[in-house]
Amino acid sequence: MMTSFEQIRREAKAKDKKRLVVAPVTAATDLSTLTAAMADGLVFPVLVGDGKAAASWLGREKIPAAHLEIIEEPDEAKALTLAIGMVKNGAAEILLRGGMDPKRFFEAILDREKGLLKERVASVVSVFDPPGVDRVTMATDTYVNSFPSIAEKITITENVIKLAGVLGLASPKIAALSAIEQVNPAIPSTMDAAILSKMAERRQFGDVTLEGPLDIDCAVSRRAATRKGVHSPVTGQGDIYLMPNVEAGFLMAELSVFIGKTPMACALMGVSRPVVLNLPFVPAENRATEIDLAVLLCGRL
Amino acid sequence: MIRSFADMDRLASEKGPKRLVVLAPEDEEFMLAVRDSAAMGYTRPVLIGDREKMERLADQVQYDISSAEKIYEKSRQTIADLGIRMLFSGEVDIAGKGQIPTAYIYRAIIREESKAGKGKVVSVISMWDIEGLEHLTCFTDTGVNITPDYRAKAEIVRNAVFFFHLLGYPKPKICVLSGKREVNGDIPSYQDFLALKKAAAAGELGACEVMEATSFIDIFSPGKTDFRLRDIRIGRTDFPHIMLVPNLATGNILVKLDFALKNVRRRSLVMSSRGPVIIPSRSDFRDSILGEIAAGVTVAEQIKGGGAS
Repeated sequence: MMTSFEQIRREAKAKDKKRLVVAPVTAATDLSTLTAAMADGLVFPVLVGDGKAAASWLGREKIPAAHLEIIEEPDEAKALTLAIGMVKNGAAEILLRGGMDPKRFFEAILDREKGLLKERVASVVSVFDPPGVDRVTMATDTYVNSFPSIAEKITITENVIKLAGVLGLASPKIAALSAIEQVNPAIPSTMDAAILSKMAERRQFGDVTLEGPLDIDCAVSRRAATRKGVHSPVTGQGDIYLMPNVEAGFLMAELSVFIGKTPMACALMGVSRPVVLNLPFVPAENRATEIDLAVLLCGRL
Repeated sequence: MIRSFADMDRLASEKGPKRLVVLAPEDEEFMLAVRDSAAMGYTRPVLIGDREKMERLADQVQYDISSAEKIYEKSRQTIADLGIRMLFSGEVDIAGKGQIPTAYIYRAIIREESKAGKGKVVSVISMWDIEGLEHLTCFTDTGVNITPDYRAKAEIVRNAVFFFHLLGYPKPKICVLSGKREVNGDIPSYQDFLALKKAAAAGELGACEVMEATSFIDIFSPGKTDFRLRDIRIGRTDFPHIMLVPNLATGNILVKLDFALKNVRRRSLVMSSRGPVIIPSRSDFRDSILGEIAAGVTVAEQIKGGGAS
C-alpha cells in the first residue's frame, strides 16, 4: 500500500518508461514538471503543438533532442485531437494537458466517441498526503460533476475504488459525506449516501467498507463519532471521502491546500487512458505526483 | 475590535457574568463546560432539562447546582421554547444548546422572531480563529438553510455583517464561495455571487464589501496559473471576514475541517435579534463548548454596549 507521495514516486519509478504526449504545446505551456519526470526516467515525452515553443524549452532545460519527440501542429485543437488519437491507438500511453484552457480540454477528452470517456462519468480524485498522517487520503469528485445524480455517484465511487486499488489499497474505508450523519429526506445527499452505504453492504462495490451518511467530524474523528453515537470502522480511519456535490468537493480540496497546507495531486478517472490535468488548484510542488499517478494507472483503467 | 478567540475569552472574564440559559445540559462534556463557565465568571447559568439527568451529571462532574436556577422539563421542544422565550423576553442574555436536536431550537427561534415581528432568516455563524490571521473569519450559514436561494443568502449575509459590526469591524469583507471552476459553466452559487456583489455595491447588505474571489485559489493566488505550498502566507493575504457557503452540506464540511486541521479553531452561534444562541456541535468537547460560551458572553456584551472599538 502506498502511504505517501514519496512512495508513489518510488513505485512509479519502478515501472517501465512511458510515452507521454503533451498537447497542445504553446508558448505559455509550463513544462517544468516534465523535466523532473524525465530526469527520474519516468517518461519519454512527445510534444505536439508549437514546435518553436517546444524547441525553446528544450534549449532552456539543456535537454538533448534525442530524449523526446516533437510533432509540429500549430492549431491547438488539431494538436489535441492528434494526441488523443495517439493514446487511443497506443502510440503514447499518457496524455498531459498543455497550454489549452481546462474547459476546451475537458470538452475534447470527455467526448464519448472522439475522446477518452469510458465510464458513465469521469471524475477527479484529489489525493492528499496530509502532514503527520501515515497514509494518503482521497476525496472525489472535486472537479468534474457539479451536482451528480445517484447513478453518477455510483460511477464516481467505482472510479475512486479503482484508483485505490492501483495504490495498493485492497479494502478501502470510504466515508460518504453529507451535512449530517442521519438520513434526512430534506437533505438529498444523505439519501444518496445511505444508498451507497447499503450497496456496499451488499458487496456491490467489492471489498470495501462504505459508511454514509457521515458528517465530516464523524468521518475524520473517531472520538467525535463516538460522542455522536456513530460506530463504524470508517470513522477516523477513512481512506476515501465521497463528496455530496462539487461545491463541497472543490472548496474542501482548496481549503485543505490553502489553509491546511496539505499536499494534493489529482487523477482523472472514468477515462480509458491516463490523463494529467495540470489543474490550477494543484500546488506546483505536487504536479510531479500527478505524472506518477498516471504512470501507475497505465494499463489499469 | 475583537480579533481572536483569546480576545473573546478575555472579554468574557472581564464583562461576565451574563445570564445563560442552558437547554438540556444532559451530557458530561456540556455540564463540565457550564460548570467551568460559571467558575470562570463568564455566566450565571439557568439550567432547563430532565431533573434526574441534570442532577446525576452535576454530581458526576462535581458541580454544585444547588444555588443555580433550575427548570425541570423533559419535553425537548418545550425546553427549547422555554429557553428561547427567556432570551427574547430579556430574562437571560444568552441561550445555549445542550443535548437537544438543533432543529427544535431553530424552530423556537423562528417562532419568537416571528412574534417579535422580525421574521428574519435564522442562520448559523461559525467563526474560525486561524493561526497567523490577524482577524476573525466565519463561515455562514452552516446550520439551518439547506439550499438557500438568493433572497435567503442576502439575509444570511446581513446577519453576518451585523455580527461583524458588533465585533468592531466597520466594513467586513465577504467572499461568496462557489464551486465555479473552469469547466461546466456557471452554477447557481456563482449567479448568487454576481447578484450579491451588486446588492452590496448598492448598499443593500449594510456596510460591507463583496470581494471578487469566489474560492480559496482566488483569495490566495488570484490570476496566477500556479502557486507553491511553501509560499502560502495567510497573514499576508487579503482574507475575508465572512465566507458565505453555497449550501448546508458544503458549509458543514468546510467548517468542521477544524477536526482535521491543526491551525484552526471553531466557535458557532446563531445571532438572533435579541441575543446570541450558542450552538455547539454534538461532537464538540468541553473546551470548545466553553469557548462557545465565551463567544456568547462577548457578543451579549457587545449588544449591550453597541459594538466594539
